[in-house]
Amino acid sequence: MKALILVGGFGTRLRPLTLSVPKPLVDFANKPMILHQIEALKAIGVTEVVLAINYQPEVMLNFLKDFEEKLGIRITCSQETEPLGTAGPLALARDKLADGSGEPFFVLNSDVISEYPLKEMIEFHKSHGGEASIMVTKVDEPSKYGVVVLEEATGQVERFVEKPKLFVGNKINAGIYLLNPSVLDRIELRPTSIEKEVFPKIAAEKMLYAMVLPGFWMDIGQPRDYITGLRLYLDSLRKKDASKLASGTHIVGNVLVHESAKIGEGCLIGPDVAIGPGCVVEAGVRLSRCTVMRGVRIKKHACISSSIIGWHSTVGQWARVENMTILGEDVHVCDEIYSNGGVVLPHKEIKSSILKPEIVM
Amino acid sequence: MMGSSEEKVVAVIMVGGPTKGTRFRPLSFNIPKPLFPLAGQPMVHHPISACKRIPNLAQIYLIGFYEEREFALFVSSISNELKVPVRYLKEEKPHGSAGGLYNFRDLIMEDSPSHIFLLNCDVCCSFPLPDMLEAHRRYGGMGTILVIKVPPESANQFGELVADPVTNELLHYTEKPETFVSDHINCGVYVFTPDVFAAIQGVSTQRKDRANLRRVSSFEALQLPNRSLPTDFVRLDQDILSPLAGKKQLYTYETMDFWEQIKTPGMSLRCSALYLAQFRFTSPHILATGDGIKSATITGDVYIHPSAKVHPTAKIGPNVSISANARIGAGVRLVNCIILDDVEIKENAVVIHAIVGWKSMIGRWSRVQAEGDYNAKLGVTILGESVSVEDEVVVINSIVLPNKTLNLSVQEEIIL
Repeated sequence: MKALILVGGFGTRLRPLTLSVPKPLVDFANKPMILHQIEALKAIGVTEVVLAINYQPEVMLNFLKDFEEKLGIRITCSQETEPLGTAGPLALARDKLADGSGEPFFVLNSDVISEYPLKEMIEFHKSHGGEASIMVTKVDEPSKYGVVVLEEATGQVERFVEKPKLFVGNKINAGIYLLNPSVLDRIELRPTSIEKEVFPKIAAEKMLYAMVLPGFWMDIGQPRDYITGLRLYLDSLRKKDASKLASGTHIVGNVLVHESAKIGEGCLIGPDVAIGPGCVVEAGVRLSRCTVMRGVRIKKHACISSSIIGWHSTVGQWARVENMTILGEDVHVCDEIYSNGGVVLPHKEIKSSILKPEIVM
Repeated sequence: MMGSSEEKVVAVIMVGGPTKGTRFRPLSFNIPKPLFPLAGQPMVHHPISACKRIPNLAQIYLIGFYEEREFALFVSSISNELKVPVRYLKEEKPHGSAGGLYNFRDLIMEDSPSHIFLLNCDVCCSFPLPDMLEAHRRYGGMGTILVIKVPPESANQFGELVADPVTNELLHYTEKPETFVSDHINCGVYVFTPDVFAAIQGVSTQRKDRANLRRVSSFEALQLPNRSLPTDFVRLDQDILSPLAGKKQLYTYETMDFWEQIKTPGMSLRCSALYLAQFRFTSPHILATGDGIKSATITGDVYIHPSAKVHPTAKIGPNVSISANARIGAGVRLVNCIILDDVEIKENAVVIHAIVGWKSMIGRWSRVQAEGDYNAKLGVTILGESVSVEDEVVVINSIVLPNKTLNLSVQEEIIL
């Protein structure tokens, strides 16, 4: 079975992290974002994943070589020379996706984190016999997104409404599709939107069905949602495989600690914290609602909350870092510094406190 | 007046490296600072052209930390253009401003030069190098430093120095002092005789001897101020100029022309204007002309690359530099800005006090501007590579990182 992951562009909303690596390789819960999706696809028997990209293919291809071997799944890239939107890339990768077997293929959006109930989606797709299935998820504020209006009993999709001003429904497109190869015949090789041009046509023919995504869903393409997403992910991990989470007197709530990370005495870690490979958390540190990426050193007595600390950065002794502070790669926060929402670009040293949210270039 | 035909001169230009310059962001994301264009030519082109005026110039070396491939094209093209050998040398590890020179002394001395110029690439000035060389020969010392008088309040950002008003000998030198020492500062342009290598080696040796002492007493090691510097790390200011001041070895040559340091994108706009003004005297044919009839109205100093297309109803200047393949539409007004390669500016747009990055697009009737304070963080609006400003959008006093599309007006913002 095949799958396409829409990786797309520059990931500017996740800067400064995406100034160092392309967005799919930004770590989430101690794993590159895209690996969560590739692993979920491999688990249900997908043998080949095509990444639709238009930015930094060399970096992606290097990374993929490592994972192709480790995971035993074929990973290829389909490179857009101009941005093709959300449907165009499928036409571009057509030869890779339609192998003549008639099997449907998955399409995933790379910014999305969820439980990936792909096996259930395959069964749903077989049972309704339509041409395309999409996952939808329930949200509190549907008018921020594109709403999918569907018939509750069968899941048949009636129509799409982009950012509706009046309430028409609370289910939005979750960015996970299962499509028959015939859908490829509907897509031209040009910038095309799957929600605006392709799906409405299939829905009009009553061949598009939506399944409500069980479990959590988050678009982690920007820092605030990334932090919320980690909370949801760790909650879900607690239910599925609690042994992966850390435990001990110094742990509160859901905490993920890589086996190569070191944590000192007298720390209090959690809730909703991920500590990456090779990290050193010195004694007396308090971490809550934050991500600490590979190779970071948090010095003694520091206190970090609601923040993301980028690869190989250091946070000084007694420093206090909070309120959506995002440190890019190789950022060094000096001792006793306070950062309230500082967004710091890579290779900087922070020698004076950041009292209100500010970008440090 | 001129040296004998045997007396060759070598020039060394220090170009720095990538991790040191975060101040030049966001432009430094796309290009090494030394290659950023000022008045239509890469920053380092200006000191290189100035070196060409030195009699008996044998070779120019660029020394820096950038990868060789980043300078390969530039170096071969400028060697061809100016008919002078230019070579880029990559420092493998930091040696300090003097240590870097020492590190490559064998190459530098290959032509047995009688004099060696040392210039910093991010200095913007008239580079009076032949006059400086002549003065240096008269003084007969080991080195001559280019100096300039600045307003006393700003002097402490630089190296302050005191010179003898009659002999021009350097009497005292101190780097970025806290209290006022002098309103004359070091311009970052020097000429030396090959004796300078012995002086640099002397510093290295002295440090090595102290290091040997350290092995005797580790407690002593904690007390020494330079304990963390490797023995081959020699800084020009603190280790050579300061100690040798007052010993009849170093002299000064004062310039009365302009001088600025190009540390930030805002300053690059200022320096581009200074070089454009200089072209008005040295090579006025480079500057654009036009009266709005067959070609666009030009006011003040303007450079337009021959491949750029400018609509005749546009009004350009003063202080505008337009790079290759840019397209400037009808009714556009450009004032005090740098428009980089492949930019498209659509009809009736206005750009004032800004730098518009490569391949960007400025929509119709949109307005990109700033107050024009070169020293303020958001005093010059900077658009990175491939930024799109949609029709009628206003961007004021802001910095926009590459690959963004602005469909709403912004003011006083950094957009990542």
